[in-house]
Amino acid sequence: MMSTPTSRSRFRRRWARRSRVGLACVGLLGLLAAGCSSASQDSAAQNKPANPKDLVLVQAIRSLSNPYHAEWAKGGEMFAASVGMPVQTLTDEGDSQQQLNQIKQVLAGGKTVVLNADPNTTSDTQAIVRAVQDAGGFVVTQWNKPDGLTPAQVGNSWVAHIGFDGNTGGYQTAKALFAAMNNSGGIIALQGILDDVPAKERFAGLQKAISETPGVQLLDQQTANWTRNEAFQVTQTLLAKHAGQVKGVWAANDDMALGAIEALRAVGLVGKVPIVGASDAVPEALQDIQAGNVGYVATVSTDAYWQGGAGLALAYQAATGKYNVAAAPATDRSFYGKEFLVTKQNVADFTKTPTAADLAPDFANPLARNVGPLQ
Amino acid sequence: MTTTVTASASGAAPAALPLGRRVLDAGPVLALVLLVVAFSLASGRFLTVPNAGSIANQAAILLVLATGATFVILLGGVDLSVEGVMATSSLVTVLLAANDRNGSHLGYLAVLVGTAVGALIGLVNGLLHTRMRIPSFMVTLGTGAIGIGIATVLFGGQPPRLLDPGLRAWGTERIAGMPRLVIIAVAVLLIGYLIQKFTRIGRYILVIGGDEQIARLAGVSVARYKLYAFVLAGTASGLAGAMASTQLGVGDVQVGSGQLFATITAVVVGGTALTGGRGGVPQTVVGVLLISVLANGLILVGVNPSIQRSVQGVVIIAAIAATAWTQRHRLRVIK
Repeated sequence: MMSTPTSRSRFRRRWARRSRVGLACVGLLGLLAAGCSSASQDSAAQNKPANPKDLVLVQAIRSLSNPYHAEWAKGGEMFAASVGMPVQTLTDEGDSQQQLNQIKQVLAGGKTVVLNADPNTTSDTQAIVRAVQDAGGFVVTQWNKPDGLTPAQVGNSWVAHIGFDGNTGGYQTAKALFAAMNNSGGIIALQGILDDVPAKERFAGLQKAISETPGVQLLDQQTANWTRNEAFQVTQTLLAKHAGQVKGVWAANDDMALGAIEALRAVGLVGKVPIVGASDAVPEALQDIQAGNVGYVATVSTDAYWQGGAGLALAYQAATGKYNVAAAPATDRSFYGKEFLVTKQNVADFTKTPTAADLAPDFANPLARNVGPLQ
Repeated sequence: MTTTVTASASGAAPAALPLGRRVLDAGPVLALVLLVVAFSLASGRFLTVPNAGSIANQAAILLVLATGATFVILLGGVDLSVEGVMATSSLVTVLLAANDRNGSHLGYLAVLVGTAVGALIGLVNGLLHTRMRIPSFMVTLGTGAIGIGIATVLFGGQPPRLLDPGLRAWGTERIAGMPRLVIIAVAVLLIGYLIQKFTRIGRYILVIGGDEQIARLAGVSVARYKLYAFVLAGTASGLAGAMASTQLGVGDVQVGSGQLFATITAVVVGGTALTGGRGGVPQTVVGVLLISVLANGLILVGVNPSIQRSVQGVVIIAAIAATAWTQRHRLRVIK
């Protein structure tokens, strides 16, 4: 769970509540640290191919206590095992300053760092990649990146940034929902925080699917701010407003879909109205899709094992000279990774752990899932 | 001495209220009626049985929270730990009842423990506030954050599912057409009203909120009754967290998201003064209905989701301004 920037924003809100005062101090320190690292560019080392024994493999993720990042870490470990090296896993528990400090400590260790990072927030990405650039390491980042910033602007140490296109997930889940409704009837949509980029993208994907399906009407769309309990309340009201007309529910993430299911349960409609979540593939959603008893039709997975394994593989290939970053086109430096629509047909693939053999082709060619340049 | 003070506290009998005060008290009710009429005219769906059920269901948890919060606000204090307490209680309740994480199956006892955890946090709030003399908003902000922290640890990255069918039924089923949670909320409301009206705790809280100095001079143990108020509020938040879990079927850190704003607004819009000493549980009922009707009505009428929150804010401020207009020169302190 918590696999997308969506839940990341949810986490940020939770965190903000947790330490209002502390956050202010940490934020200030973060600014100082970011300022220092960008000021020391003159010390930038050159990115020459390194001997594997001088490398240290590192993955920086939020925590190991959620299934999504636990899978990410396993993917990284499987890659490390495939090249016979250990991998160091840094967890920051949602603390941006801690994340940057940990990375800087590893960079100061003297070896060439090969890093696959999930920056905690958008504003952390710049500080991380510049720190790695200054130390002559190699880094692949995923999910969070400031809009105007590209790897080419920073340097060849920033091997690539991998994002995921919400339009695709929004569209594919909508199509799966409509198929379950025989392409006719009214639906309601639960949006994420309205100004979040993934929320906008996924809803745009839904709208595209609706425009292609004349039998389906969007009865209503409301925000439930990514959360289960707000989704419960909003769905309850919408079910009263459009009593008897709601034939399907589209939610921008799994948490909201799970909240909507409880609202359907309260009015005796659970299992009769199909429902989809446009991202996350949280374990509860996968269980419901597999069981098929509450009408949960589909969700979207970004495949955390791949994110952990292939991200590290790409940085490793750049470090060993197998992949020439300087010669790589811009479309390989900043791209969308592949998302998978998870339905009853393929859900079993996403509940089991892949083997090293399953992932070997992606380790050999980590760019295989590049589905297009980041918009 | 107790008899004297009790007499003076309840001395402001309703019949003796001046006209301005009566308008003030009636204001929120008028605002509620106005909203109901407006929404009924604007949407044919508003005054229907399913929608009334949906409003009642959504008001249930808020009513429990606001009833508890009323006592603290009557004191002139505030309890900001609502969401943190709900989160901890939600996780504790689900992890002790039958769930998909461990072998525990305490049933209703789990709800009792969850509620007790709320009471405990309330006790800590009260002790820190009265013994260490830290302002209530700062103490409760801190304990609320601690509550979220504890819940996050218990959460462990994935929400535990509540598998006890008996408890789930409380969140999802109805008795005689009435959602079960609404029945609990009404029971809590009655208890809150009885405490406020007929117990020493309720009366002294009003006295202390009215003028702490006088209460102290009259020999009231101010610290003790303040403590009770925070325990009542914590207990209510704890119960609300357990209720939300039976409704959503999981223990979730986010179970109370948005409820703090709604709770304080409901109490204040209802007519309980933030300065303390005036208002009470019946006023809070009106406030809770106002907030719930507003949230529901704006969706029904079809107000653009992007501006709904702002419209809510405008209506709430207008309601408070309108009801306080006649009293504005007499309000003692604006903090």
